Amino acid sequence: MAVDIRSKTDNGTTVIEVAGTVDLYSAPDLRSSLLDAVPKASDGVVVDLREVSYMDSSGVAVLVEGLRSARSNDTRLVLREPSRPVMKVLELAKLDELFDIEAA
Amino acid sequence: MTHDLQLELRTDPRLLASVRALVGEWLAGFGLDEDVEHSVVLAIDEACSNCIRHAYGGSGDCYARLTMRATPEHLEFEISDEGTPCRTDKTERRPLEIPHPDEVKPGGLGIQLMHRVFDEVRFEPGDTRGNRITLKLRRQR
Repeated sequence: MAVDIRSKTDNGTTVIEVAGTVDLYSAPDLRSSLLDAVPKASDGVVVDLREVSYMDSSGVAVLVEGLRSARSNDTRLVLREPSRPVMKVLELAKLDELFDIEAA
Repeated sequence: MTHDLQLELRTDPRLLASVRALVGEWLAGFGLDEDVEHSVVLAIDEACSNCIRHAYGGSGDCYARLTMRATPEHLEFEISDEGTPCRTDKTERRPLEIPHPDEVKPGGLGIQLMHRVFDEVRFEPGDTRGNRITLKLRRQR
């Protein structure tokens, strides 16, 4: 299993826990979970990225799409504790400041 | 002793994890900083992903070739395919700014990451058809 995605909703906030690698192969799994969750979560979506061992631009593109969807649904998207590989690709893409990031 | 390595890669996204592992292992012999090593693996992954998505339109049944070569000055990577030629207006380095999310075009992000990681990035047509991407990293950093 390249990526493991678990979602749980509590008081209107959906937390999506992502573990493993997010690349061209596995990004569609994250995309469907995220885009499914955003319109339903009245109090926003938290994407927990602590256990992500690798992410490339396919994963970043999914996060950007999630953020767009959150804005158009008038809700929020938070990235929780992105792991080092996630921060690295966000920084390289200069997208780290675009996101609401919850640090450790 | 030569460290050159050439691989035929089936363009199946499931195999990208193996490509990354192999590139990482090949790089380990050159004493690069861990962050640089990670970035190089990422940028090669981007080049291969790009080839699968664009040159072959996502088809997993084609082949691309990855060559890794160490010269005294550079670590050089070449990814060649026989697919649809890249649009040259998509392969130029462009400035990355803090964008508005509506303006982010993730499609070209992989190419911009390659430009950020490598000292030289060249896109050109293949010998008979397709594309050849050459990526060079200076060994003295």
